[in-house]
Amino acid sequence: MTELFVNGRKVRVEVPPGTRLIYVLRNDLALNGPKLGCARGQCGACTIHLDGIAARSCQISIEAVQGRSITTLEGLGTPDRPHPVQAAFIAEQALQCGYCTNGMIMQAAALIAAKPSPSEAEVSAMMNANLCRCGCQPRVVRAVMKAAGRTL
Amino acid sequence: MTLMDNRIHFASAPVSLSRRRFVQGLAAAAATGLTIQFRLAEGQPVPDLPAMIKRNPNLNAWVRIAPDGAVTVFTGRVEIGQGCLTAMLQIAAEELDVAPGRITLVSGDTAQTPDEGVTSGSFSMKLGGTALGHACADARGTLVRAAAEAWKVDASTLKVEDGSIIGPSGARMHYGEAASRVSLTRPVDPAARRKPASSQRIIGSSYPRVDIPAKVFGQPVFIHDLRPEGMLFGAIARPPAYAARVVSVDLAPIKAMPGVVEVVRDGSFLGVIARREEQARAAAEKLAAAARWDVGPALFAGKGVFEHLLNAPAEVKVIHETRGGALDVVSIRHKAEYRRAFQAHASIGASCALAQCADGKLTVWSHTQGPFSLRAHLAKALRTPEVSIRVIHAQGAGCYGHNGADDVALDAALLARAVAGRPVRVQWSHEEEMAWEPWGSAMIVRLEAGVAGDGRLTAWNHDVWSFPHSTRPGPSGGMEGCNLRSAWYLAEPLKASKPRDGALPNGAAGRNAVPIYAAASQRVTTHFLAEMPIRTSALRTLGGFFNAVSAEMFLDELAAMSGHDPVSFRLKNVRDERLVAVLSKAVEMSGWTPTPVSAGRKLAREMLGMGVGLSRYKNQDSYVAVVAEVSVDTASGAVRVLRMWSATDTGRSINPDGVINQIEGGMVQAASWTLLESGRFDVGIMKAVDYADYPIIDFTGSPKIQSALIDRPEMPPLGAGEGSQAPAGAAIANAIFAATGRRITEIPFTRERVLAALQA
Ligand code: FES
Ligand code: FES
Repeated sequence: MTELFVNGRKVRVEVPPGTRLIYVLRNDLALNGPKLGCARGQCGACTIHLDGIAARSCQISIEAVQGRSITTLEGLGTPDRPHPVQAAFIAEQALQCGYCTNGMIMQAAALIAAKPSPSEAEVSAMMNANLCRCGCQPRVVRAVMKAAGRTL
Repeated sequence: MTLMDNRIHFASAPVSLSRRRFVQGLAAAAATGLTIQFRLAEGQPVPDLPAMIKRNPNLNAWVRIAPDGAVTVFTGRVEIGQGCLTAMLQIAAEELDVAPGRITLVSGDTAQTPDEGVTSGSFSMKLGGTALGHACADARGTLVRAAAEAWKVDASTLKVEDGSIIGPSGARMHYGEAASRVSLTRPVDPAARRKPASSQRIIGSSYPRVDIPAKVFGQPVFIHDLRPEGMLFGAIARPPAYAARVVSVDLAPIKAMPGVVEVVRDGSFLGVIARREEQARAAAEKLAAAARWDVGPALFAGKGVFEHLLNAPAEVKVIHETRGGALDVVSIRHKAEYRRAFQAHASIGASCALAQCADGKLTVWSHTQGPFSLRAHLAKALRTPEVSIRVIHAQGAGCYGHNGADDVALDAALLARAVAGRPVRVQWSHEEEMAWEPWGSAMIVRLEAGVAGDGRLTAWNHDVWSFPHSTRPGPSGGMEGCNLRSAWYLAEPLKASKPRDGALPNGAAGRNAVPIYAAASQRVTTHFLAEMPIRTSALRTLGGFFNAVSAEMFLDELAAMSGHDPVSFRLKNVRDERLVAVLSKAVEMSGWTPTPVSAGRKLAREMLGMGVGLSRYKNQDSYVAVVAEVSVDTASGAVRVLRMWSATDTGRSINPDGVINQIEGGMVQAASWTLLESGRFDVGIMKAVDYADYPIIDFTGSPKIQSALIDRPEMPPLGAGEGSQAPAGAAIANAIFAATGRRITEIPFTRERVLAALQA
């Protein structure tokens, strides 16, 4: 039995040693936010926050997150209390299929927390390892800038 | 569970405050329908029914009104990230005069929705939207007439407010009651009349996408989020090459692996079902490695694909010809050849399906673009009647054409059969998707043209060599064969359908090969290779992207040779006013003052240039012009697209922001195709299977974009989802040409190719 701290709650799961966090979050805990993309750390679709820092849940084993605080998209904000980045993504309609969106929002939220008023170039640079095949990069940049404006 | 039976209800969709106010404003506007003519008057000529209604003639196939007034509309079109469902909802809300939040939309379910074929080719609004709009207009007119009869008043004096019919004395009758007085179970009336554009309030507005909030808050939206009770996970053990077949394999050690529930072998189809997703993947990998394979013959007999394209047997067909001008009595005569590599869909989320066999029935949840065609081909592969299969659409990651969506549905079904009763979900790995999905065809285009002394084109010949662009599962009762990949590997294998090239006006290999320019003498010839050692199929725009990009590159070369700048040369040779309008708009926005390109100029370390691309998708859909500004680092060969401007005319646009989102997304995707993407393969299989080997554009590589939409509310909607790729790719290519005075003729324009062209 492994104890995890996810979105402010303690949960217990029984999974084989070495299991990647993405599978636990999605399949054991039925969370939909983190998406399984490349499973190789190349796309960012699986991004979560680990103690407030963006991390790729496809690259992290369950043992590595013992005693640490995990936040997924579900824990970032809700329709009633959206995180500024979530609100900005809706306002800017910053997605098409939305498969990359979890990673974009989680990466951006961590970015803004670390650097509250980034320049456009800094946003591009810090989002660079999150891939979007629908070509929504310009809109995502706009949404992140908008969210940063709000948090100033 | 709404996601599982695919009833999409957006009433509670959360929206941000400013959006909500906007939406309520719209809903209020919609709630009071203006008094309009519902039906053509007697004696007026009755127009032809929309094509999709001819295919699904019953009104209740499109709209149903419950006794309590609840409205459900049905579309055979599916959401693939393009905003299709939102647009359908706008259309239904507009024509029915019901607030969008009160309408339930059912999409892509073989048990419930009309069969509209495949959601592709930018046809959704043009065909699906037109049909749904007509049916909803018919329903509204019918209900209003029912109320008019009950009240013994003239129907034209009645109004509709959010699904309630309002009588002259303030009497109200809701749609449910009106529906109880008439039957909607009858053929759609060809004489039903839609609202004129001038009184539309929701159509033509940038209504926020209804699926976005759920995606932003991590609510279940995707097929990947379906988790029915007792679900198991499946994975496929892939051969080491496309032509490989199993010689022998011992399943016992795999069966003994942790979590494995069942191992399936049917000929060379090998799969594993396990309790956990990662266990299924691990076991499948082990199984593939443990099997002994006969790898089969080498791809292209070990030669390069371009050599193969030019030399292998091909069906040669002149698909378009006009006579008038001559090639030889001109001041300039020019020839060129361009090439494009295999390119992939490369979705961020690999293909996924969920299947369950229970009580002799198979239910498959799939992000296929054609639920009915998938059902037809599943029936062939599983050798079972179509009626025993139900395919329900659930969203996947963006697909951009025919990727593994259909194939994985058969994989899931083959595995689900082995564990009857238990639902099995299969999500391919990204590597599996890249190696096993159909690719966009490698292509060669050769152009030859003549220009008269006054700068007018006289003759234009376009030859294209290509593998197939459409090998999707076809409709029920259609072609022989089965187009689901694993069917070819079974113990009793099925053959794929014989690929055919799509005919004009849509075209496939020859899409957009007919010039948009007015050369008097024109000839377009396709060299179609039906045999495809690397399986190819629809990648967004089919052959359209490369044909139009080639033509636009060639045109700029002609402009340079005749001493014209790219814009004035186009204006001299283009006749269509709407093309002129988008071209002028994009150029104006960019602030560019075009000058003639001087070939082979002296190189500096960094060279800047601007270029333009102009296209009308399929020669019959959206008009799009794009201007691009690039910088070329002549030391490294690196090209950066700095900025892009686009102007689009898509006729009546149902949702302008949705159109811009598609247009700009297409431009970024085209920049990626043009600069980065190339499928590398070895003797047996695609090897470019991860993002390191098959990079796609990232944030720092993406240009800043500014776009304009030329709205033409009085015109019918034109397909927009694929309109910008070709002009965007062409603008980049031509900007490099303008910057350096050199032409790189093979896409993608990698650093190596750019350097080679600069040093030549
Ligand atoms: S799925 Fe984790 S980075 Fe791609
Ligand atoms: S919105 Fe589709 S991958 Fe980003």
